[in-house]
Amino acid sequence: MPGFEVTPLSPTLGAEVMGLDLREAIAPEDLADLEAALLEHLVLFFRAQPLSPDQLLARARQFGEVEAHAFGPRNPQCPEVGVLDQSSPQHDGANRWHCDSTFMPRPPRAVMLRAESLPALGGDTCWASMYAAYEALNPALRATLETLSATHDVTGPLRRAVEAGHSVGDLETVRAEWPLLSHPVICRHPETQRPLLYVNSNFSVCIDELEEAESEALLTLLFEWVRNPDFQLRFRWEEDCVALWDNRCTQHFAVADYRERRVMHRVAIADPLAPQAVN
Amino acid sequence: MQITPLSPALGAEIAALDLQEDLTDAVAEEIRAALREYRLLVFRDQNLSPEEHIAFGRRFGRIKCPPVPTRHGGPPELNVLDQKNPRGEGADNWHADNTYTTTPPMASILQAIRLPELGGDTAFACMQAAYRALSPAMRGLCEQLTAIHDVTRSITRAIQRGHSGDDLEKVRKRLPPVEHPVVVGHPDTGLPALFVNVNSTTHIRGMSETESRALLAFLFEHVKQPEFQLRIRWQPGTVIFFDNRCTQHYAVADYDQRRIVHRVALEGERPRRNRPEPTSPGETRSHLLEDSRHV
Repeated sequence: MPGFEVTPLSPTLGAEVMGLDLREAIAPEDLADLEAALLEHLVLFFRAQPLSPDQLLARARQFGEVEAHAFGPRNPQCPEVGVLDQSSPQHDGANRWHCDSTFMPRPPRAVMLRAESLPALGGDTCWASMYAAYEALNPALRATLETLSATHDVTGPLRRAVEAGHSVGDLETVRAEWPLLSHPVICRHPETQRPLLYVNSNFSVCIDELEEAESEALLTLLFEWVRNPDFQLRFRWEEDCVALWDNRCTQHFAVADYRERRVMHRVAIADPLAPQAVN
Repeated sequence: MQITPLSPALGAEIAALDLQEDLTDAVAEEIRAALREYRLLVFRDQNLSPEEHIAFGRRFGRIKCPPVPTRHGGPPELNVLDQKNPRGEGADNWHADNTYTTTPPMASILQAIRLPELGGDTAFACMQAAYRALSPAMRGLCEQLTAIHDVTRSITRAIQRGHSGDDLEKVRKRLPPVEHPVVVGHPDTGLPALFVNVNSTTHIRGMSETESRALLAFLFEHVKQPEFQLRIRWQPGTVIFFDNRCTQHYAVADYDQRRIVHRVALEGERPRRNRPEPTSPGETRSHLLEDSRHV
Protein backbone atom coordinates (compact mmCIF):
# COMPACT_ATOMS: atom_id res chain seq x y z
CA MET A 1 0.00 0.00 0.00
CA PRO A 2 1.48 3.38 -0.93
CA GLY A 3 1.77 5.91 1.87
CA PHE A 4 -0.37 8.38 -0.04
CA GLU A 5 -3.60 8.77 -1.98
CA VAL A 6 -3.90 9.79 -5.63
CA THR A 7 -7.06 11.56 -6.86
CA PRO A 8 -7.27 12.17 -10.62
CA LEU A 9 -8.38 15.67 -11.68
CA SER A 10 -9.36 14.95 -15.28
CA PRO A 11 -9.53 11.95 -17.60
CA THR A 12 -6.59 13.28 -19.59
CA LEU A 13 -4.01 14.39 -17.07
CA GLY A 14 -3.46 15.64 -13.56
CA ALA A 15 -3.88 14.14 -10.10
CA GLU A 16 -3.64 15.36 -6.57
CA VAL A 17 -1.42 13.44 -4.15
CA MET A 18 -2.49 13.48 -0.51
CA GLY A 19 -0.78 12.17 2.58
CA LEU A 20 2.86 13.06 1.91
CA ASP A 21 4.97 15.59 3.76
CA LEU A 22 7.67 16.62 1.32
CA ARG A 23 9.76 18.24 4.04
CA GLU A 24 10.83 14.69 4.83
CA ALA A 25 12.55 12.24 2.52
CA ILE A 26 10.19 10.15 0.40
CA ALA A 27 10.45 6.45 1.35
CA PRO A 28 11.86 4.27 -1.45
CA GLU A 29 8.61 2.34 -1.98
CA ASP A 30 6.63 5.60 -2.07
CA LEU A 31 9.10 7.01 -4.56
CA ALA A 32 8.50 4.11 -6.92
CA ASP A 33 4.74 4.58 -6.55
CA LEU A 34 5.07 8.31 -7.22
CA GLU A 35 7.10 7.63 -10.38
CA ALA A 36 4.31 5.27 -11.49
CA ALA A 37 1.65 7.86 -10.67
CA LEU A 38 3.58 10.47 -12.65
CA LEU A 39 3.68 8.19 -15.70
CA GLU A 40 -0.05 7.62 -15.38
CA HIS A 41 -1.21 11.17 -14.61
CA LEU A 42 1.60 13.28 -16.18
CA VAL A 43 1.31 16.02 -13.56
CA LEU A 44 0.97 15.60 -9.80
CA PHE A 45 -0.02 18.22 -7.25
CA PHE A 46 0.93 18.23 -3.56
CA ARG A 47 -0.85 20.85 -1.46
CA ALA A 48 0.33 22.47 1.76
CA GLN A 49 4.07 21.85 1.39
CA PRO A 50 5.91 24.67 3.16
CA LEU A 51 9.35 23.78 1.76
CA SER A 52 12.56 25.76 1.92
CA PRO A 53 14.49 25.89 -1.38
CA ASP A 54 16.84 23.25 0.10
CA GLN A 55 14.00 20.93 0.91
CA LEU A 56 12.50 21.36 -2.56
CA LEU A 57 15.88 20.59 -4.05
CA ALA A 58 16.37 17.54 -1.84
CA ARG A 59 12.98 16.12 -2.89
CA ALA A 60 13.68 16.77 -6.57
CA ARG A 61 17.04 15.01 -6.22
CA GLN A 62 15.20 11.87 -5.17
CA PHE A 63 13.86 11.68 -8.72
CA GLY A 64 17.23 12.11 -10.41
CA GLU A 65 20.03 14.50 -11.09
CA VAL A 66 18.91 18.13 -11.08
CA GLU A 67 20.09 20.93 -13.36
CA ALA A 68 19.96 24.71 -13.18
CA HIS A 69 17.98 26.49 -15.89
CA ALA A 70 20.09 27.56 -18.86
CA PHE A 71 19.37 31.27 -18.39
CA GLY A 72 16.59 31.81 -15.84
CA PRO A 73 17.18 33.57 -12.49
CA ARG A 74 18.42 31.36 -9.69
CA ASN A 75 18.22 31.31 -5.94
CA PRO A 76 21.61 32.72 -4.82
CA GLN A 77 22.05 30.19 -1.99
CA CYS A 78 20.81 27.31 -4.01
CA PRO A 79 21.54 27.85 -7.73
CA GLU A 80 19.79 24.68 -8.88
CA VAL A 81 16.55 26.26 -7.66
CA GLY A 82 15.19 28.66 -10.25
CA VAL A 83 13.13 31.62 -9.10
CA LEU A 84 10.26 32.87 -11.23
CA ASP A 85 9.42 36.22 -9.75
CA GLN A 86 6.92 38.09 -11.90
CA SER A 87 4.50 40.91 -11.58
CA SER A 88 4.04 41.84 -15.24
CA PRO A 89 4.06 38.44 -16.91
CA GLN A 90 2.41 39.42 -20.19
CA HIS A 91 5.43 39.42 -22.42
CA ASP A 92 7.68 37.09 -20.44
CA GLY A 93 7.04 34.12 -22.68
CA ALA A 94 5.64 31.60 -20.19
CA ASN A 95 2.13 32.47 -21.41
CA ARG A 96 2.62 30.39 -24.52
CA TRP A 97 2.19 26.64 -24.75
CA HIS A 98 5.59 25.05 -24.30
CA CYS A 99 7.70 22.28 -22.81
CA ASP A 100 10.66 23.45 -20.83
CA SER A 101 14.06 23.83 -22.46
CA THR A 102 13.63 21.80 -25.64
CA PHE A 103 16.55 23.80 -27.08
CA MET A 104 18.72 21.36 -25.11
CA PRO A 105 19.87 18.03 -26.56
CA ARG A 106 18.39 16.40 -23.46
CA PRO A 107 15.58 18.58 -22.09
CA PRO A 108 14.53 17.99 -18.47
CA ARG A 109 12.69 14.77 -17.78
CA ALA A 110 10.51 16.37 -15.12
CA VAL A 111 10.08 19.68 -13.39
CA MET A 112 9.06 20.51 -9.83
CA LEU A 113 7.42 23.87 -9.22
CA ARG A 114 6.33 25.31 -5.89
CA ALA A 115 4.13 28.35 -5.31
CA GLU A 116 5.92 30.61 -2.85
CA SER A 117 3.76 33.70 -3.18
CA LEU A 118 0.66 34.26 -5.31
CA PRO A 119 -1.60 37.07 -6.50
CA ALA A 120 -5.02 37.18 -4.85
CA LEU A 121 -6.63 36.07 -8.09
CA GLY A 122 -5.20 34.68 -11.32
CA GLY A 123 -1.84 33.16 -12.17
CA ASP A 124 -3.20 29.68 -12.88
CA THR A 125 -1.14 27.22 -14.87
CA CYS A 126 -2.60 25.03 -17.62
CA TRP A 127 -1.08 21.70 -18.67
CA ALA A 128 -1.82 19.69 -21.80
CA SER A 129 -1.17 16.03 -22.58
CA MET A 130 0.89 15.57 -25.73
CA TYR A 131 -0.22 11.93 -25.86
CA ALA A 132 -3.82 13.13 -26.17
CA ALA A 133 -2.79 15.77 -28.72
CA TYR A 134 -1.05 13.12 -30.82
CA GLU A 135 -3.86 10.59 -30.55
CA ALA A 136 -6.51 13.06 -31.72
CA LEU A 137 -4.63 13.92 -34.94
CA ASN A 138 -5.78 12.54 -38.25
CA PRO A 139 -3.99 9.21 -38.96
CA ALA A 140 -2.50 10.38 -42.27
CA LEU A 141 -1.10 13.47 -40.62
CA ARG A 142 0.19 11.43 -37.70
CA ALA A 143 1.98 9.03 -40.03
CA THR A 144 3.63 11.89 -41.90
CA LEU A 145 4.63 13.75 -38.76
CA GLU A 146 6.30 10.59 -37.44
CA THR A 147 8.83 10.87 -40.27
CA LEU A 148 9.72 14.51 -39.59
CA SER A 149 11.99 16.45 -37.28
CA ALA A 150 11.88 20.06 -36.11
CA THR A 151 14.56 22.59 -35.31
CA HIS A 152 14.47 24.00 -31.79
CA ASP A 153 15.95 27.42 -31.07
CA VAL A 154 16.51 29.14 -27.73
CA THR A 155 16.46 32.64 -29.27
CA GLY A 156 12.80 33.70 -28.98
CA PRO A 157 12.23 32.97 -25.26
CA LEU A 158 15.81 33.99 -24.45
CA ARG A 159 15.33 37.37 -26.11
CA ARG A 160 12.13 37.93 -24.14
CA ALA A 161 13.90 36.93 -20.92
CA VAL A 162 16.82 39.26 -21.63
CA GLU A 163 14.45 42.14 -22.41
CA ALA A 164 12.44 41.52 -19.24
CA GLY A 165 15.62 41.34 -17.15
CA HIS A 166 14.97 37.67 -16.36
CA SER A 167 18.09 36.19 -17.95
CA VAL A 168 21.33 35.52 -16.11
CA GLY A 169 23.33 35.69 -19.35
CA ASP A 170 23.26 38.02 -22.36
CA LEU A 171 21.73 37.00 -25.66
CA GLU A 172 24.90 36.14 -27.56
CA THR A 173 26.61 34.16 -24.78
CA VAL A 174 23.58 31.99 -24.09
CA ARG A 175 22.89 31.47 -27.78
CA ALA A 176 26.46 30.37 -28.38
CA GLU A 177 26.09 27.86 -25.60
CA TRP A 178 22.93 26.35 -27.11
CA PRO A 179 23.24 26.03 -30.88
CA LEU A 180 20.22 25.04 -32.99
CA LEU A 181 19.32 21.37 -32.83
CA SER A 182 16.58 19.03 -34.02
CA HIS A 183 14.17 16.70 -32.24
CA PRO A 184 11.62 14.35 -33.83
CA VAL A 185 8.17 15.94 -34.30
CA ILE A 186 6.63 12.82 -32.80
CA CYS A 187 8.58 11.15 -29.98
CA ARG A 188 8.12 7.89 -28.18
CA HIS A 189 8.07 8.18 -24.41
CA PRO A 190 11.02 6.09 -23.17
CA GLU A 191 9.06 4.60 -20.28
CA THR A 192 5.44 4.28 -21.43
CA GLN A 193 6.45 3.76 -25.08
CA ARG A 194 3.47 5.93 -26.09
CA PRO A 195 3.88 8.31 -29.05
CA LEU A 196 3.50 12.02 -28.33
CA LEU A 197 3.57 15.36 -30.11
CA TYR A 198 6.89 17.10 -29.53
CA VAL A 199 6.87 20.56 -31.07
CA ASN A 200 6.11 23.66 -29.03
CA SER A 201 5.47 27.29 -29.84
CA ASN A 202 8.33 28.61 -27.71
CA PHE A 203 11.23 26.74 -29.26
CA SER A 204 10.24 24.83 -32.42
CA VAL A 205 11.01 27.11 -35.35
CA CYS A 206 10.73 24.95 -38.46
CA ILE A 207 10.18 21.44 -39.70
CA ASP A 208 13.43 20.34 -41.26
CA GLU A 209 12.19 18.26 -44.19
CA LEU A 210 9.64 20.79 -45.48
CA GLU A 211 9.66 23.88 -47.65
CA GLU A 212 9.33 27.07 -45.61
CA ALA A 213 5.66 27.68 -46.46
CA GLU A 214 4.77 24.05 -45.71
CA SER A 215 6.64 24.14 -42.44
CA GLU A 216 4.91 27.36 -41.44
CA ALA A 217 1.48 25.87 -42.21
CA LEU A 218 2.08 22.63 -40.32
CA LEU A 219 3.63 24.28 -37.27
CA THR A 220 0.74 26.74 -37.13
CA LEU A 221 -1.66 23.81 -37.25
CA LEU A 222 0.20 21.97 -34.48
CA PHE A 223 0.56 24.99 -32.20
CA GLU A 224 -3.15 25.67 -32.57
CA TRP A 225 -3.89 21.99 -32.00
CA VAL A 226 -2.36 22.09 -28.53
CA ARG A 227 -4.78 24.89 -27.55
CA ASN A 228 -7.72 22.46 -27.56
CA PRO A 229 -9.24 22.28 -24.04
CA ASP A 230 -9.88 18.55 -24.50
CA PHE A 231 -6.19 17.86 -23.89
CA GLN A 232 -5.91 20.26 -20.98
CA LEU A 233 -6.15 20.81 -17.28
CA ARG A 234 -6.24 24.21 -15.60
CA PHE A 235 -4.87 24.37 -12.09
CA ARG A 236 -5.55 27.10 -9.57
CA TRP A 237 -2.55 27.35 -7.26
CA GLU A 238 -2.46 27.77 -3.53
CA GLU A 239 0.64 28.97 -1.76
CA ASP A 240 2.91 26.07 -0.76
CA CYS A 241 1.44 23.86 -3.44
CA VAL A 242 4.00 21.79 -5.37
CA ALA A 243 3.50 20.53 -8.92
CA LEU A 244 5.62 17.77 -10.44
CA TRP A 245 5.22 17.17 -14.16
CA ASP A 246 6.65 14.92 -16.81
CA ASN A 247 8.23 17.42 -19.20
CA ARG A 248 8.54 14.84 -21.98
CA CYS A 249 4.84 14.34 -22.64
CA THR A 250 3.18 17.56 -21.47
CA GLN A 251 3.20 21.23 -22.33
CA HIS A 252 2.16 24.01 -20.00
CA PHE A 253 1.01 27.62 -20.11
CA ALA A 254 1.40 30.14 -17.28
CA VAL A 255 -1.69 32.34 -17.44
CA ALA A 256 -0.56 35.98 -17.50
CA ASP A 257 -3.66 37.58 -16.01
CA TYR A 258 -2.27 39.13 -12.82
CA ARG A 259 -0.33 42.18 -11.75
CA GLU A 260 0.53 41.41 -8.19
CA ARG A 261 3.77 39.62 -7.45
CA ARG A 262 3.89 35.88 -8.13
CA VAL A 263 6.95 33.93 -6.95
CA MET A 264 7.53 30.31 -7.88
CA HIS A 265 10.47 28.02 -7.13
CA ARG A 266 11.47 25.59 -9.84
CA VAL A 267 13.79 22.62 -10.03
CA ALA A 268 14.38 20.66 -13.23
CA ILE A 269 15.22 16.97 -13.13
CA ALA A 270 17.67 15.99 -15.87
CA ASP A 271 16.92 13.38 -18.47
CA PRO A 272 19.72 10.92 -19.21
CA LEU A 273 18.08 10.25 -22.59
CA ALA A 274 17.52 12.44 -25.63
CA PRO A 275 13.99 12.49 -27.16
CA GLN A 276 13.58 9.44 -29.40
CA ALA A 277 11.66 9.10 -32.66
CA VAL A 278 8.78 6.65 -32.86
CA ASN A 279 10.49 4.32 -35.30
CA MET B 1 -25.09 36.35 -0.46
CA GLN B 2 -21.42 35.44 -0.47
CA ILE B 3 -19.54 36.19 -3.70
CA THR B 4 -16.09 34.74 -4.46
CA PRO B 5 -14.42 35.80 -7.71
CA LEU B 6 -12.96 32.87 -9.67
CA SER B 7 -10.54 34.49 -12.11
CA PRO B 8 -9.50 37.97 -13.19
CA ALA B 9 -11.26 37.58 -16.56
CA LEU B 10 -14.70 36.44 -15.45
CA GLY B 11 -16.70 34.33 -13.05
CA ALA B 12 -17.70 34.28 -9.42
CA GLU B 13 -19.11 31.62 -7.16
CA ILE B 14 -22.17 32.48 -5.09
CA ALA B 15 -22.52 30.58 -1.84
CA ALA B 16 -25.32 30.25 0.66
CA LEU B 17 -28.22 30.64 -1.71
CA ASP B 18 -30.91 28.06 -2.39
CA LEU B 19 -32.34 28.71 -5.84
CA GLN B 20 -35.31 26.44 -5.14
CA GLU B 21 -36.72 29.04 -2.82
CA ASP B 22 -38.60 32.09 -4.03
CA LEU B 23 -36.02 34.81 -4.45
CA THR B 24 -36.83 38.17 -2.93
CA ASP B 25 -36.58 41.14 -5.29
CA ALA B 26 -33.52 42.29 -3.38
CA VAL B 27 -31.72 38.96 -3.89
CA ALA B 28 -32.68 38.85 -7.58
CA GLU B 29 -31.25 42.34 -7.95
CA GLU B 30 -28.02 41.25 -6.25
CA ILE B 31 -27.74 38.35 -8.66
CA ARG B 32 -28.32 40.70 -11.60
CA ALA B 33 -25.63 43.04 -10.32
CA ALA B 34 -23.20 40.17 -9.76
CA LEU B 35 -23.85 38.90 -13.30
CA ARG B 36 -23.13 42.37 -14.68
CA GLU B 37 -19.90 42.50 -12.74
CA TYR B 38 -18.61 38.93 -13.21
CA ARG B 39 -20.49 37.84 -16.36
CA LEU B 40 -20.73 34.29 -15.06
CA LEU B 41 -22.08 32.99 -11.77
CA VAL B 42 -21.67 29.52 -10.29
CA PHE B 43 -24.15 28.18 -7.73
CA ARG B 44 -23.19 24.82 -6.23
CA ASP B 45 -25.44 22.11 -4.76
CA GLN B 46 -28.73 23.17 -6.29
CA ASN B 47 -31.24 20.58 -7.32
CA LEU B 48 -33.72 22.39 -9.48
CA SER B 49 -36.50 20.45 -11.15
CA PRO B 50 -37.11 21.54 -14.76
CA GLU B 51 -40.02 23.64 -13.51
CA GLU B 52 -37.93 25.30 -10.80
CA HIS B 53 -35.12 25.86 -13.29
CA ILE B 54 -37.52 27.62 -15.67
CA ALA B 55 -39.07 29.60 -12.79
CA PHE B 56 -35.60 30.76 -11.72
CA GLY B 57 -34.93 31.89 -15.30
CA ARG B 58 -38.23 33.82 -15.43
CA ARG B 59 -37.06 35.99 -12.53
CA PHE B 60 -34.44 37.43 -14.88
CA GLY B 61 -36.21 37.70 -18.20
CA ARG B 62 -38.42 36.14 -20.78
CA ILE B 63 -37.51 32.51 -21.57
CA LYS B 64 -36.24 31.95 -25.09
CA CYS B 65 -37.34 28.50 -26.14
CA PRO B 66 -34.55 26.62 -27.91
CA PRO B 67 -34.71 27.59 -31.62
CA VAL B 68 -33.54 24.08 -32.49
CA PRO B 69 -34.51 21.86 -29.56
CA THR B 70 -32.71 18.58 -29.00
CA ARG B 71 -34.79 15.41 -29.18
CA HIS B 72 -34.09 14.49 -25.56
CA GLY B 73 -37.39 15.72 -24.16
CA GLY B 74 -38.42 18.09 -21.37
CA PRO B 75 -40.77 21.09 -21.40
CA PRO B 76 -40.39 23.41 -24.46
CA GLU B 77 -38.54 26.07 -22.43
CA LEU B 78 -35.85 23.56 -21.44
CA ASN B 79 -33.10 22.27 -23.69
CA VAL B 80 -31.79 18.88 -22.59
CA LEU B 81 -28.17 18.29 -23.58
CA ASP B 82 -27.60 14.57 -23.31
CA GLN B 83 -24.25 13.35 -24.63
CA LYS B 84 -22.04 10.31 -24.49
CA ASN B 85 -19.78 10.79 -27.51
CA PRO B 86 -19.25 14.54 -27.37
CA ARG B 87 -16.25 14.79 -29.65
CA GLY B 88 -17.15 16.71 -32.79
CA GLU B 89 -20.73 17.40 -31.69
CA GLY B 90 -20.20 21.16 -31.81
CA ALA B 91 -20.30 22.16 -28.14
CA ASP B 92 -16.59 21.32 -28.25
CA ASN B 93 -15.94 24.48 -30.22
CA TRP B 94 -15.68 27.94 -28.69
CA HIS B 95 -19.10 29.51 -29.20
CA ALA B 96 -21.88 31.69 -27.85
CA ASP B 97 -25.35 30.15 -27.87
CA ASN B 98 -27.72 30.59 -30.83
CA THR B 99 -26.01 33.52 -32.53
CA TYR B 100 -27.66 32.33 -35.75
CA THR B 101 -30.88 33.95 -34.50
CA THR B 102 -31.72 37.65 -34.80
CA THR B 103 -31.97 37.93 -31.03
CA PRO B 104 -29.53 35.50 -29.42
CA PRO B 105 -30.12 34.76 -25.73
CA MET B 106 -28.92 37.40 -23.31
CA ALA B 107 -28.01 34.64 -20.90
CA SER B 108 -28.10 30.90 -20.47
CA ILE B 109 -28.67 29.06 -17.22
CA LEU B 110 -27.21 25.57 -17.11
CA GLN B 111 -27.66 22.87 -14.51
CA ALA B 112 -25.65 19.63 -14.41
CA ILE B 113 -27.98 16.69 -13.94
CA ARG B 114 -25.72 13.73 -14.57
CA LEU B 115 -21.98 13.71 -15.05
CA PRO B 116 -19.21 11.34 -16.03
CA GLU B 117 -17.01 10.27 -13.14
CA LEU B 118 -14.25 12.47 -14.44
CA GLY B 119 -14.14 15.06 -17.22
CA GLY B 120 -16.85 17.06 -18.97
CA ASP B 121 -15.70 20.45 -17.63
CA THR B 122 -16.84 23.61 -19.36
CA ALA B 123 -14.41 26.39 -20.20
CA PHE B 124 -15.69 29.97 -20.51
CA ALA B 125 -14.04 33.00 -22.09
CA CYS B 126 -14.74 36.69 -21.61
CA MET B 127 -15.13 38.28 -25.04
CA GLN B 128 -14.68 41.77 -23.59
CA ALA B 129 -11.21 40.75 -22.41
CA ALA B 130 -10.60 39.18 -25.84
CA TYR B 131 -11.58 42.46 -27.47
CA ARG B 132 -9.36 44.53 -25.18
CA ALA B 133 -6.35 42.33 -25.91
CA LEU B 134 -6.48 43.28 -29.62
CA SER B 135 -4.27 46.09 -30.84
CA PRO B 136 -6.05 49.43 -31.29
CA ALA B 137 -5.76 49.10 -35.08
CA MET B 138 -7.32 45.65 -35.08
CA ARG B 139 -10.08 46.83 -32.75
CA GLY B 140 -10.74 49.71 -35.10
CA LEU B 141 -11.04 47.35 -38.04
CA CYS B 142 -13.33 44.89 -36.26
CA GLU B 143 -15.63 47.64 -35.02
CA GLN B 144 -16.50 48.54 -38.59
CA LEU B 145 -17.41 45.03 -39.68
CA THR B 146 -20.55 42.94 -39.82
CA ALA B 147 -20.60 39.15 -39.94
CA ILE B 148 -23.05 36.57 -41.20
CA HIS B 149 -24.22 33.87 -38.74
CA ASP B 150 -25.78 30.70 -40.09
CA VAL B 151 -27.44 27.73 -38.35
CA THR B 152 -26.39 25.22 -41.06
CA ARG B 153 -23.25 23.93 -39.48
CA SER B 154 -24.76 23.34 -36.02
CA ILE B 155 -27.99 21.79 -37.21
CA THR B 156 -26.27 19.51 -39.72
CA ARG B 157 -24.10 18.13 -36.95
CA ALA B 158 -27.03 17.81 -34.53
CA ILE B 159 -29.03 15.83 -37.08
CA GLN B 160 -26.06 13.63 -38.00
CA ARG B 161 -25.30 12.85 -34.38
CA GLY B 162 -28.91 12.07 -33.48
CA HIS B 163 -29.50 15.09 -31.21
CA SER B 164 -32.08 16.68 -33.50
CA GLY B 165 -35.06 15.12 -35.21
CA ASP B 166 -35.53 18.22 -37.38
CA ASP B 167 -35.32 18.41 -41.13
CA LEU B 168 -32.26 20.33 -42.31
CA GLU B 169 -34.02 22.28 -45.05
CA LYS B 170 -36.97 23.20 -42.85
CA VAL B 171 -34.67 24.53 -40.13
CA ARG B 172 -32.65 26.50 -42.66
CA LYS B 173 -35.81 28.02 -44.04
CA ARG B 174 -37.12 28.87 -40.60
CA LEU B 175 -33.77 30.32 -39.51
CA PRO B 176 -32.21 32.12 -42.47
CA PRO B 177 -28.70 33.58 -42.02
CA VAL B 178 -28.55 36.75 -39.91
CA GLU B 179 -26.09 39.61 -39.58
CA HIS B 180 -24.49 40.82 -36.35
CA PRO B 181 -21.76 43.39 -35.75
CA VAL B 182 -18.33 41.81 -35.20
CA VAL B 183 -17.97 43.96 -32.07
CA VAL B 184 -21.09 44.46 -30.01
CA GLY B 185 -21.72 46.87 -27.17
CA HIS B 186 -23.15 45.43 -23.98
CA PRO B 187 -26.71 46.74 -23.50
CA ASP B 188 -26.16 47.33 -19.75
CA THR B 189 -22.54 48.38 -19.46
CA GLY B 190 -21.71 49.59 -22.97
CA LEU B 191 -18.51 47.51 -22.91
CA PRO B 192 -17.46 46.22 -26.31
CA ALA B 193 -17.12 42.48 -26.92
CA LEU B 194 -16.03 40.36 -29.87
CA PHE B 195 -19.07 38.64 -31.29
CA VAL B 196 -17.99 36.05 -33.84
CA ASN B 197 -17.78 32.32 -33.18
CA VAL B 198 -16.63 29.32 -35.13
CA ASN B 199 -19.93 27.42 -34.87
CA SER B 200 -22.14 30.01 -36.52
CA THR B 201 -20.13 32.82 -38.11
CA THR B 202 -19.52 32.02 -41.75
CA HIS B 203 -18.11 35.20 -43.27
CA ILE B 204 -17.70 38.92 -42.99
CA ARG B 205 -20.00 41.02 -45.12
CA GLY B 206 -18.36 42.92 -47.93
CA MET B 207 -14.92 41.35 -47.59
CA SER B 208 -13.33 39.11 -50.17
CA GLU B 209 -13.27 35.46 -49.24
CA THR B 210 -9.52 35.60 -48.65
CA GLU B 211 -9.78 38.52 -46.24
CA SER B 212 -12.82 37.16 -44.46
CA ARG B 213 -11.34 33.69 -44.03
CA ALA B 214 -8.03 34.96 -42.68
CA LEU B 215 -9.59 37.47 -40.30
CA LEU B 216 -12.14 35.02 -38.92
CA ALA B 217 -9.47 32.33 -38.53
CA PHE B 218 -7.47 34.79 -36.47
CA LEU B 219 -10.43 35.80 -34.33
CA PHE B 220 -11.52 32.19 -33.73
CA GLU B 221 -7.96 31.42 -32.62
CA HIS B 222 -7.72 34.54 -30.48
CA VAL B 223 -10.46 33.26 -28.14
CA LYS B 224 -8.26 30.34 -27.11
CA GLN B 225 -5.97 32.44 -24.92
CA PRO B 226 -6.18 31.19 -21.33
CA GLU B 227 -5.97 34.79 -20.02
CA PHE B 228 -9.58 35.34 -21.10
CA GLN B 229 -10.75 32.08 -19.62
CA LEU B 230 -12.06 30.17 -16.68
CA ARG B 231 -12.61 26.42 -16.49
CA ILE B 232 -15.37 25.00 -14.30
CA ARG B 233 -15.51 21.50 -12.95
CA TRP B 234 -19.15 20.54 -12.51
CA GLN B 235 -20.83 18.62 -9.75
CA PRO B 236 -24.39 17.31 -10.07
CA GLY B 237 -26.61 20.23 -9.07
CA THR B 238 -24.13 22.92 -10.10
CA VAL B 239 -25.92 25.82 -11.79
CA ILE B 240 -24.04 28.21 -14.08
CA PHE B 241 -25.70 31.47 -15.12
CA PHE B 242 -23.71 33.25 -17.84
CA ASP B 243 -24.12 36.35 -19.96
CA ASN B 244 -24.25 35.03 -23.51
CA ARG B 245 -23.66 38.48 -25.05
CA CYS B 246 -20.09 38.83 -23.85
CA THR B 247 -18.83 35.30 -23.22
CA GLN B 248 -18.14 32.15 -25.17
CA HIS B 249 -17.88 28.63 -23.88
CA TYR B 250 -16.42 25.26 -24.75
CA ALA B 251 -17.77 21.95 -23.47
CA VAL B 252 -14.68 19.81 -22.96
CA ALA B 253 -15.13 16.56 -24.90
CA ASP B 254 -12.94 14.28 -22.82
CA TYR B 255 -15.47 11.72 -21.54
CA ASP B 256 -17.43 8.76 -22.80
CA GLN B 257 -19.93 8.25 -20.02
CA ARG B 258 -23.34 9.88 -20.21
CA ARG B 259 -23.49 13.60 -19.36
CA ILE B 260 -26.81 15.44 -19.04
CA VAL B 261 -27.02 19.21 -18.69
CA HIS B 262 -30.23 21.26 -18.73
CA ARG B 263 -30.28 24.69 -20.29
CA VAL B 264 -32.76 27.52 -19.97
CA ALA B 265 -32.07 30.59 -22.10
CA LEU B 266 -33.28 34.15 -21.61
CA GLU B 267 -34.46 36.20 -24.55
CA GLY B 268 -31.99 38.89 -25.62
CA GLU B 269 -32.22 42.01 -27.74
CA ARG B 270 -30.79 42.41 -31.18
CA PRO B 271 -26.99 42.83 -30.78
CA ARG B 272 -25.91 46.39 -31.46
CA ARG B 273 -22.62 47.78 -32.63
CA ASN B 274 -20.59 49.32 -29.85
CA ARG B 275 -20.11 53.03 -30.08
CA PRO B 276 -16.42 53.10 -31.01
CA GLU B 277 -14.47 55.24 -28.61
CA PRO B 278 -11.53 57.16 -29.93
CA THR B 279 -8.43 55.18 -29.00
CA SER B 280 -5.75 57.18 -27.29
CA PRO B 281 -2.26 56.82 -28.72
CA GLY B 282 -0.77 55.43 -25.51
CA GLU B 283 -3.26 52.61 -25.34
CA THR B 284 -1.68 49.19 -25.51
CA ARG B 285 -2.43 45.60 -24.77
CA SER B 286 -1.78 46.03 -21.08
CA HIS B 287 -5.24 47.53 -21.12
CA LEU B 288 -6.37 43.94 -20.83
CA LEU B 289 -5.41 43.83 -17.20
CA GLU B 290 -6.32 47.32 -16.18
CA ASP B 291 -10.01 46.85 -16.44
CA SER B 292 -10.37 43.18 -17.06
CA ARG B 293 -12.78 42.64 -14.20
CA HIS B 294 -14.80 45.61 -14.84
CA VAL B 295 -17.28 48.05 -15.90
